[in-house]
Amino acid sequence: MRRIAHFFGQYQIAFSVGWFLAIRSIRHSSKWTTGLIVFIMVLTFLNLVVVSGLLRGLIAGSFEAFRQSYSGEVIITAAPKQEYIENSPALLSYLRGNSRIQAISARYAASVQLLGTLNDLPDKGERPNKIGIRLVGIDLPSEEKLTGFSRFIMSGEMLRDDEEGYALIGANMLKKYSAFADANIPGLDLLSDVEVGSRVRVNLSVEGDTVVSKEFIIKGIVKSKVDEISTRMFIPAKELKRMLPVNKEQYQEVAIKTDAAYAPVLVGEIRQFMGPYQARIQTSLEAVPSFLRDVETTMSLLGNSLSSIALVVAATTIFIVIFINAITKRKFIGIMKGIGISPKVIELSYVFQAIIYGLVGSAIGLFLTFFVLKPYFAANPINFPFSDGILVATPDGAALRVAILLVVTLIAGYIPAKMIVGRNTLDAILGR
Amino acid sequence: MIKAQKLTKIYGKGELETVVLKDLDLEINDGEFVAIIGPSGAGKSTLLYQLSLLDNPTRGEVYLEGHKTSMLSETVKTALRLSKLGYVFQDYALLPELNALENVMLPMYVAGMKGADAHAKAKKALERVNLLDKLVNKPSQLSGGQQQRVAIARAIAHEPKILFADEPTANLDSASAEPVMEAFIQLHKSGQTIIMVTHEEEYASKAQRIIALKDGVIVSDTARHRG
Repeated sequence: MRRIAHFFGQYQIAFSVGWFLAIRSIRHSSKWTTGLIVFIMVLTFLNLVVVSGLLRGLIAGSFEAFRQSYSGEVIITAAPKQEYIENSPALLSYLRGNSRIQAISARYAASVQLLGTLNDLPDKGERPNKIGIRLVGIDLPSEEKLTGFSRFIMSGEMLRDDEEGYALIGANMLKKYSAFADANIPGLDLLSDVEVGSRVRVNLSVEGDTVVSKEFIIKGIVKSKVDEISTRMFIPAKELKRMLPVNKEQYQEVAIKTDAAYAPVLVGEIRQFMGPYQARIQTSLEAVPSFLRDVETTMSLLGNSLSSIALVVAATTIFIVIFINAITKRKFIGIMKGIGISPKVIELSYVFQAIIYGLVGSAIGLFLTFFVLKPYFAANPINFPFSDGILVATPDGAALRVAILLVVTLIAGYIPAKMIVGRNTLDAILGR
Repeated sequence: MIKAQKLTKIYGKGELETVVLKDLDLEINDGEFVAIIGPSGAGKSTLLYQLSLLDNPTRGEVYLEGHKTSMLSETVKTALRLSKLGYVFQDYALLPELNALENVMLPMYVAGMKGADAHAKAKKALERVNLLDKLVNKPSQLSGGQQQRVAIARAIAHEPKILFADEPTANLDSASAEPVMEAFIQLHKSGQTIIMVTHEEEYASKAQRIIALKDGVIVSDTARHRG
């Protein structure tokens, strides 16, 4: 027992003296050198957190836009091979009774043919100005509350509940606005000569050869980086409901806004409520196409690969700094050993120096990440064609990277200290 | 008491082999002030390194308080240097980032002494070398002689059995060297065992016993009586 107490006592002394020497050594060293080392550590930390965070943020930005612009936290859609969400009226009543749900938007949706040119028939051999499009009926106040739909209007005006015969159309379906207009992709049809004020015709095929047709005036063009907005056509829900011959009370989509943390629980509760009735009930993240999640994984891997290079650079820097620091103090190290200071204490003093550099660098890096860069990218997202890139940085992830950086720093500080301290005491004293 | 028996130190191998100490026998008793003198290359410093456990002899043995030291590990030797030996280097060898008091306290801290005790002992040691007014001065703020006296204070603060000094006045002018030698004399008077290497006859004469080396062997061993 006494031996164990002695052992721990020795280590306690070694730690306290090592720390004391480390602090004094840093205080005594050149401010420029210390500043440079800390600067490199800050850059390394930012490389660890920000590079991978931005790469992930490109995709996470699109997930976020998908949630905010279309799905809410939970999205219910028709089950595969089903036309609609079964038991929709009861489901909506159930959802409206849940106090934790902040907004609900129930949407009708149908695939239609849309004719862009009504007056001029196409010439022989010319393709008609016609596309297939998803026509969505939205309840205007509910949709506004859930997604702030009016913010997507890039041209024209928002629909009004007291009007009929007006529609909004996604910019990506119009030759004038689509980024793919000049790509000549086989099968990709876009409408020509359709603008705000244009008259278009919707043909909705119902049972057999029956077609329900209705003309609309384009009141506005909507644009978003979320395809569910910019590739669809929107009319008030009550108008689409009138066009549907059957199942008028059954919706195709129900988007729900609630707390992100509650969303998975709500999914479980809805599934339980639905029982035998069929519908696809997903959180926003589950509803994101799997290829996008794969891209996110790839981006994370890429970010981690780049970060590991930064780690090697930081480790090498610390190694060189500590090595040079120790080699220039070789004589003093020898003298300390000569007067009886154990190598353990001397090594610890260099390890502590390295850790202090790492800690200070990480602290500054954390401050910059969470108080400067993250708010900046949230306010000024990187404008990518498919998303608004944000900086993904979580306290957990940052803490893990701080730990990784400190471990690497510790090793990079220990090895050169061990190499120098381990040399012959007399040779060190005599400078041999 | 420290004793060397058949102490031999050889550097290099083959044609480059240099025998620095040759079958040297020596015994130094507690309380003695011994000066080791001799021309350059006589083996003075090498002998001091062997006696102070800073280096290992090629052959022979050093006994410290009757115990063999050749079989001791480097860790044990370091611990012995910390607890029983004191060392004054030619070029003071103070840590530049620590002030005088901290330089003196450091070995005692490492030895596990409590802060207040180490502080008191360090102050006492600095008082013995007349540097009580320089406690917070960094080495760069002290003269050569003052630095060497701080080094002596560091070497004696933990009350070592033996104090080794390797050319302690070599880097000092005579004005600075005097107080340093005076410090050694006072320490000896208080019963401290001192083994000092010097090439200066004048300072060697302050010792109680003078051992002269030439080509690695003792050519004279004279006991003196200071007036």
